Amino acid sequence: MVEIAIYPPNSLILADLIERKGHTPLALQKQIRQKIKDPEIDSPPMNITEDDPIKGLKYAAIEVPSGVRGRMSIIGPLIDAAEAAIIVDGAPFGFGCIGCARTNELSTFLLRDKNIPTLEVTYPTNRDETFEMVNQINDFLDSLDELVKSDGDFKDGVPEEEKENLEVVEKELKED
Amino acid sequence: MSENLCPSPKLSKEDWDPDVVTRMIILAPGAKVSESEIVSEMHMLDLPLTIKNTCYGAMVSGKSKDVREALKAIRKLDPAHIFTKDRGFAPGDPRRCRGQRFGPREGFHQMEKEYRILGDVADALEKRKDITVPKKHPVDIDLVKDIMNES
Repeated sequence: MVEIAIYPPNSLILADLIERKGHTPLALQKQIRQKIKDPEIDSPPMNITEDDPIKGLKYAAIEVPSGVRGRMSIIGPLIDAAEAAIIVDGAPFGFGCIGCARTNELSTFLLRDKNIPTLEVTYPTNRDETFEMVNQINDFLDSLDELVKSDGDFKDGVPEEEKENLEVVEKELKED
Repeated sequence: MSENLCPSPKLSKEDWDPDVVTRMIILAPGAKVSESEIVSEMHMLDLPLTIKNTCYGAMVSGKSKDVREALKAIRKLDPAHIFTKDRGFAPGDPRRCRGQRFGPREGFHQMEKEYRILGDVADALEKRKDITVPKKHPVDIDLVKDIMNES
């Protein structure tokens, strides 16, 4: 069982597909639930407290707006715990719960920068693309146990062996 | 005077229990079961759960072990078309419930977006079809140069 970070972090489709394969999605809702059950928060819907931007300093510099750091204090621990990641690119406006473009960029950057197997899929716009996305995610999840055990270099989300293949292809293309 | 949209709720003992989880059950378009069928199926299990019938499916709250058992049971009704996810707030929590707010709750908009492709996702899960969609590439620079030189 692998703990997988998803982006958007509250996605129904991603979380469900991961659970179907027996892995654990690192969904934002669990973090939010911990927050709203905290008796020390006076005004519970305003889940950000003064401590959160301080906690967010682990992920973003002091010059970064407190809104980004506050959000990162909730999303950051999920990224830290991730053993793999699935990111949806090119999603339409309004998709995702973060409500902040800079936090989105920082979170996806941290996931890509982390040395873990990462799958990036494009948000589907038609039926064929949806089929392709589901197949890609299922294939990735099936191969995940082996990928995590392999201790390979997944910088930029590409395994080491595939990087070598890419270099060969690039070389051949140059020769042509 | 404006309404208070940030009420401090009176949480029950169950709400403070860290082992209690809430799951949303969402039925994809084309599901072979209805919302009321899955709710009655969960009632029949006789587990200590709070179950709420909703427009998209149902919401179930209780100890994580009981919720897992209930989800396992109802998934058997239509494995491909029943989707579930966690929810941070308990059913009927005044901080999120639409009944106390003006307009949809925050999570509604993403659910609306995901619901549009949920039917296709369910079909893809039911019967795998290997499709490769050709990637869109930018126009070749030489072609652009030729067009520019022509004019």
